[in-house]
Amino acid sequence: MSSFALPKTVVRTGLALFELWAASFGLSYVHLGSASLLVALAIAAVKAALVVMFFMELLHESLSMKLTLAAAGGLLAILIGLMIADAATREPPPLVPPGYPAPDVAKIPSR
Amino acid sequence: MSTTPLAPAASPAPEASHAPGASPRPVAHPSYLGVDTTLRSWLLTTDHKRIGVLYLVTLLATMALGGFFALALRIEHLTPNATIVSAMTYNRMFTLHGVIMVWLFLIPSIPSSFGNFVLPMMVGAKDVAFPRLNLLSYWIFVAGSILVLLSTGIGGIDTGWTFYPPYSSISATAVPLALLGVFIIGFSTILTGLNFIVTTHTMRAKGVGWMRLPLFVWSIYATSIIQVLATPVLGMVLLFVVVDNGLGWGLFDPARGGDPVLYQHLFWFYSHPAVYIMVLPGMGVVSEVVASYARKNPFSYKAIAYSSLGIAFVGFLTWGHHMFVAGMSKFDAGAFGVLSMLVAVFSAIKVFNWTWTLKRGAVALKTPLLYIFAFLFLFVFGGMTGVATASMSLDVHWHDTYFIVAHFHFIMVGGTLTAFLAGLHYWFPKMCGRMYPERLGMLSAALVFAGFFVTFFPQFLLGNAGMPRRYFNYPPQFQVLHIVSTVGSWVLAAGLILTAFYFLWSLRWGAPAGPNPWGSRSFEWRTASPPPKHNFRREPPFEIDPYDYTQPLPDEVYQ
Amino acid sequence: MSSSIPIRPAEHFENLERQAHAARLGMWVFLATEVLLFGAAFALFATYQVQFPHAFKLGVEHNTKVLGSLNTGVLLLSSTLVATGVHALRAGHRKVASWLVTATIGLGLVFLVIKGIEYGKHFDEGIYPGGAGHWFAEHHDRGLAEFWTLYFGMTALHAIHVTIGACVLGALLSSILRGRLGQENAHRLEVGAIYWHLVDVIWIFLWPLFYLA
Repeated sequence: MSSFALPKTVVRTGLALFELWAASFGLSYVHLGSASLLVALAIAAVKAALVVMFFMELLHESLSMKLTLAAAGGLLAILIGLMIADAATREPPPLVPPGYPAPDVAKIPSR
Repeated sequence: MSTTPLAPAASPAPEASHAPGASPRPVAHPSYLGVDTTLRSWLLTTDHKRIGVLYLVTLLATMALGGFFALALRIEHLTPNATIVSAMTYNRMFTLHGVIMVWLFLIPSIPSSFGNFVLPMMVGAKDVAFPRLNLLSYWIFVAGSILVLLSTGIGGIDTGWTFYPPYSSISATAVPLALLGVFIIGFSTILTGLNFIVTTHTMRAKGVGWMRLPLFVWSIYATSIIQVLATPVLGMVLLFVVVDNGLGWGLFDPARGGDPVLYQHLFWFYSHPAVYIMVLPGMGVVSEVVASYARKNPFSYKAIAYSSLGIAFVGFLTWGHHMFVAGMSKFDAGAFGVLSMLVAVFSAIKVFNWTWTLKRGAVALKTPLLYIFAFLFLFVFGGMTGVATASMSLDVHWHDTYFIVAHFHFIMVGGTLTAFLAGLHYWFPKMCGRMYPERLGMLSAALVFAGFFVTFFPQFLLGNAGMPRRYFNYPPQFQVLHIVSTVGSWVLAAGLILTAFYFLWSLRWGAPAGPNPWGSRSFEWRTASPPPKHNFRREPPFEIDPYDYTQPLPDEVYQ
Repeated sequence: MSSSIPIRPAEHFENLERQAHAARLGMWVFLATEVLLFGAAFALFATYQVQFPHAFKLGVEHNTKVLGSLNTGVLLLSSTLVATGVHALRAGHRKVASWLVTATIGLGLVFLVIKGIEYGKHFDEGIYPGGAGHWFAEHHDRGLAEFWTLYFGMTALHAIHVTIGACVLGALLSSILRGRLGQENAHRLEVGAIYWHLVDVIWIFLWPLFYLA
């Protein structure tokens, strides 16, 4: 029987993943400030997309499977989005009503 | 397609079936009940019908247990102070009532019992996509339920069914055990939902397109999507509470920087869609029963089908309305308030459709339809109070009062339980080949409806007057309404106990039902009652729409 | 090369192709549940990070970056190997497939060992879940307990999934070696490999959040 030939898509995807891995690692030593998390997550998203499309072969699967993953991802985005929105839009603690002792500032969570 | 006489003709060795419901005439194939009657064949079955029956029996037991706690709670509230239990016991009882009713009964109530039994037949399949997974799902459900009941045996938990931290992280009661039980039941929910989704996608018979499916399938399909996507979030957050309580991890402990509101976000992200898991299958039952007893196609099939998906989708966007007073930001509160209003639109579309289907139909007044009338009234009533509580300005006053308790009981009992009872009466002949006594059925339905209303309508008044929920003591001015509510619970219990009695009686002595006692066009009625193991001996041609009452009933029964 | 045992579809399926499609759809639905399961934890992480950005940065700086990054490479390699293995089985090369699956399982075990070493290092430094340990006596920022508790919780849950994935692949490997899994029903290995890829994808996101940012 014929000998096994390495599948081209898998090899190329694998190489791309390792390149992105190295890039992510290298960039973590560069001081990008608050953008560093976004950059790292963006690279992660690309890697995940490569795994999903070419290793898990979602690209060739039926619409129902694509919709399944899309639904999960969409819902997760809504969950994370509204939770972050809550944390980010909460107001500072209320002013002290007259006659009540002032709150202990050290015990209030900082943001 | 030529028609053949109803009695099966050329059977070489006609055998009297061992099935309890079968009529004396010989049947061509043994029913699913008679195929093998050993205990092992039942406990290790992969037949979706038997699994449905196993679930049904288990669920009736859990419903009774949850109901027992409910009766005890109501008796406790006959007097403003201690009546029959202590405050600690009371806390544990209302917690267990909630946990058992939600996870051990309501969530699996219709999908796991009737869904399992009829869904494969409704799509024209021999079984679900993964029959062994189906069996595993049942045993996982039993295992999780046993853990919850074990926790009851060692004192239960007192956190309320919502398990809010920080109290749930420090409560010395059996929190890890009970929550692990719920976590395991969650697996069962997920696997059942997964099975139904794959079955609906891949196992429809030839000729059964998506728009030819009985509407019950659409509702179970939408329910399954919610089950699959919402339950894991609950699983994760319960796991965190288990390690918080059991190992002291304190992820939600404010002293260590934790935020209990985040628990609520994750808990309600599941638990709000969970109420749609409870009510959507009920709506599916309503669609089936309304069409069958009005002997008319639904006013708009597509509207009902798509609104099921609509409810599933929008149901995921509304969870924050449980947290208006929890400390969530005003921005989120506003967003959730608006989104919560949207869900009512889809429910309304369904209600209008059903009522318009009944209008000018040739209505046959049977017990299932009485339950449907009860459903329509109670669901609309309860649903409107839901829209009211979705307004933050109103909910600020009603939150954590009996108003909320009344609202969700109107939906869960007045909606889901009523639909469950309708489905029970509707599919009982299919499952065991016997009829229930119609007049007793109607009497029970009346008792259940009246008992329910007398129990829970006063609770709207109590809540509006300020009676908080989960309170052991209350001011004496609330006593009269509490007494009325308790008496109502006895009438409700009487109706349910009567129902149990005549069903048990009917299993043995009920009049034999033919394959299709209701004259329904839906596919599960195109085979014998009770059905043979593989549902249809050969694939019936699905040339008639499941709601086409303009054609005469086809004679051939594919048993 | 066809397998030695004839392979038939299960009795409720019309044919093997339909069964394979149902199996893959079932695995994707299951994957959706895993996405939401870990997603809930990610949501918690994201929200706490918004509340405690400084503490979370501090936590990342104290994490074992080299080992964590090495582990990422281990999983990426394992994914590549198992994907190759699926192609091999589909082409009928059972022996090659079995070697590749074995290597994947081996790399999974390597991942777990490295993770164990990392946990050991954290414990040595006095970092335990729940804000316990002497490290927290020296570092007082509010939110550090949340960072480390989430770290332990999420990586432990992920490690459990690595273990489950390795067991699943092990069972499939056994089937290949016994001749029950071959070209005709290669979808079973596909489905197992998809689960392994999910475990990889979860780590792809865990790595930057806990080690890099």
